[in-house]
Amino acid sequence: MSIAYLLVSLGLGVFALAVWAMFWAIDSGQFDELDSRGEAIFDESELTSVPRAAAKKSDSVE
Amino acid sequence: MSASEALHARWSLDAGEHEHVVFMVRGIHCAGCARNIERAVGALPDVEGVRVDSAAARVTVDWLGGRNTGLRQILAAVERAGFGVVPLAGDAATSEYQRERRTALKRVGLASLGMMQAMMYLAALYGASDIDAAMTQLMRIAGMVIVTPILFYSGAPFLGGAWRDLTHRRLGMDVPVALALVLAWLPSVYNTLRADGEVYFDSVGMFIFFLSAGRFIEMSVRHRGLTSAEALARSLPVEVTILLPDGKREKTGVAKIASGDRFIVPKGGVVPVDATLAPEVGANAVGLFDESLLTGESLPATRRHGEMIRGGSVNVGAPLTLTASAAVGESTLSSIVALLERAQRERPRLARAADGAASWFVVVVLTLAALTAAAWWLYEPARAFGAVLAVLVVTCPCALSLATPAALAAVTTRLARMGVLVTHGDAIERLARIDTVVLDKTGTLTLPTTSITDIKLPQVGISQPVLAIAAALERGSAHPLAGAFAPHEKPTLIAHDLQEFAGSGVEGVIDGEEWRLGTFDFVAGLARHAQLAQTFGALESNLFLGSRAGLAAAFEVGAPLRPDARAAIDALRGLGLQIVIASGDNEAAVHAAARALDLQRANSRLSPQGKIDLVRTLRAQGHRVFMIGDGINDGPVLAAADVSCAMGQGSAIAQSAADLLLLHEGLASLPGAIIAARRGMRVVRQNLVWALGYNLTAVPLAAFGLVSPWLAALGMSLSSLGVVLNARRVRVAERAK
Repeated sequence: MSIAYLLVSLGLGVFALAVWAMFWAIDSGQFDELDSRGEAIFDESELTSVPRAAAKKSDSVE
Repeated sequence: MSASEALHARWSLDAGEHEHVVFMVRGIHCAGCARNIERAVGALPDVEGVRVDSAAARVTVDWLGGRNTGLRQILAAVERAGFGVVPLAGDAATSEYQRERRTALKRVGLASLGMMQAMMYLAALYGASDIDAAMTQLMRIAGMVIVTPILFYSGAPFLGGAWRDLTHRRLGMDVPVALALVLAWLPSVYNTLRADGEVYFDSVGMFIFFLSAGRFIEMSVRHRGLTSAEALARSLPVEVTILLPDGKREKTGVAKIASGDRFIVPKGGVVPVDATLAPEVGANAVGLFDESLLTGESLPATRRHGEMIRGGSVNVGAPLTLTASAAVGESTLSSIVALLERAQRERPRLARAADGAASWFVVVVLTLAALTAAAWWLYEPARAFGAVLAVLVVTCPCALSLATPAALAAVTTRLARMGVLVTHGDAIERLARIDTVVLDKTGTLTLPTTSITDIKLPQVGISQPVLAIAAALERGSAHPLAGAFAPHEKPTLIAHDLQEFAGSGVEGVIDGEEWRLGTFDFVAGLARHAQLAQTFGALESNLFLGSRAGLAAAFEVGAPLRPDARAAIDALRGLGLQIVIASGDNEAAVHAAARALDLQRANSRLSPQGKIDLVRTLRAQGHRVFMIGDGINDGPVLAAADVSCAMGQGSAIAQSAADLLLLHEGLASLPGAIIAARRGMRVVRQNLVWALGYNLTAVPLAAFGLVSPWLAALGMSLSSLGVVLNARRVRVAERAK
């Protein structure tokens, strides 16, 4: 029986961890532009290794 | 300078005391919110107009400045009504979208993870009888620990929206939803604390997941649905580098650019105002500009010296120095933005009807929920709770109020991509229903550039340089035929007292002699020697020049048909439309055009009043008329038709009376525009039928206890989504093409 208490609280801990990881990922911009990263291989200016900040700017102009 | 002041400086460009501001508002979800903002701001003194676009979350206010009300008071009023204000300046708005998206994503994410966890724990209690009390209690507590944060974080928009509604004593669409959430959550917490009875934490988790997922998808569609011109207005730079006369460079606000200023546009930069290439660029230099946001044309356009570069084009070539030809408030771009705002100001008839229905809807739902509760309480108290929850959750007024705006926004965006600008809210609905197209010829079916194809001179001696006289008379005229004379202008010949008679011609005095250029009757009226015309058999010509001495010349002025006219007319015919030409031109020219286009109904020599009469006659016969003109000389005719379209060239577009503007050269996009409008209205009808049908079916089922609460939540979210995704079909179809 006591193992249930341990497992449930462990489960809640893992849940909290997962939520924290997801919030961190969202806040760091992982999900901001799902399309343009995939289309980036067709962007010729990308070939000349544009710095990330500049590349991002050209995406948002569209 | 605070963000709101910077924004104000940028948008309140009107001279004098009329002030104007556009900003974005956080927390708008439905038409009810929009009405509340309109009421709050409209109550301020000196406010002349408030428009709220709930789809794009934009608010536009016009007011008389300098007296009782300032921007500060307006923003405060919006905030008092319970909404956050965000300036609509380039970067701020983008990051506001980003912030909104991230927050919404977190809400859905937390709800989805938590819903699954809560389900795992609480499923153990489903119908289990051999579980001991301590274990049951452990699962209840685990469910509560997971679901409570979901309710207050992921469910915050619904609880907050309902709270805002209730504190302002009104019923919004969040009220039934929030009521259901709290009704399910409170007894569950109570039962957990007393360690006995049912808990509904898993249902609460699932409601919130479905609801917030629905909101998230709705929001994504709304962000994408912003029309390209709005995206354009947002992409305008706030600052520009000005080249001072002494060669120094200085950064300044875009609003401060005056006509004649020289400024630098970097590669990839947006041209903020209408401009031309600056003299120092070099005589043979060519600029390369992407005007796709303005016209929908995907190929970059080349611009040489003297050619207008429209504000809003993107410089895709090398960095260039340009000379501003207008201030921000007068350039093409701001005309387009002004027209878009006018379109948004007028809510379409259908959307207004749906809004009215939706606010009654909430009242009906709450009444039905109360009746359900009472009925079940008498009949079988144990099931009353579930049935009430289901009724509250399953109803979907959002589908009803989203049905029309979602579809119309999709059509507007699609039309903007084709280079067709919609300037009136009702235009799409009316365009979808037309059965007759009336086209002007000059400047519409034909190219706007005209040339003199033939000159006939009377035998009797008139020695004046007729071409130069005609050119002097036509100088400054906006009539499409006037352009033909421009190359023949002589600086020594100046006409005074120029007067333009619509549909007749121009009159002016040159070297003390009175001259007229225009229709035969008009010129003959001055000359009183009409018989002279017979002497050179020129009655077929379309322009005459004469003085009191008699007719001096007859000009054959014409313009070739647009290369895409035949294809466009054939496509219009293919749509089952009756096509009529209404022209002020002479029979020969009009019939030539009609023959080339294979049209039977062509009316020539129509005065402006004659064109109006033609349109009125057609409408009196029960036809719904779509009038297409050049937009310069035919304003009244355009206004007489059911729906009208003008060739939107130059800076005159803002004054246009037309419902639609073709920003593209040519007629090619017209058939596509009609198809898009028809498809859009079909989607609107489908959406309304779907929303009504869903609610009429789902509410009775829920009231009779046949729908479990989680199924109700799923159904409600799916019906909202169905409406929004159906509206997107209009645009998906375009992409497939």
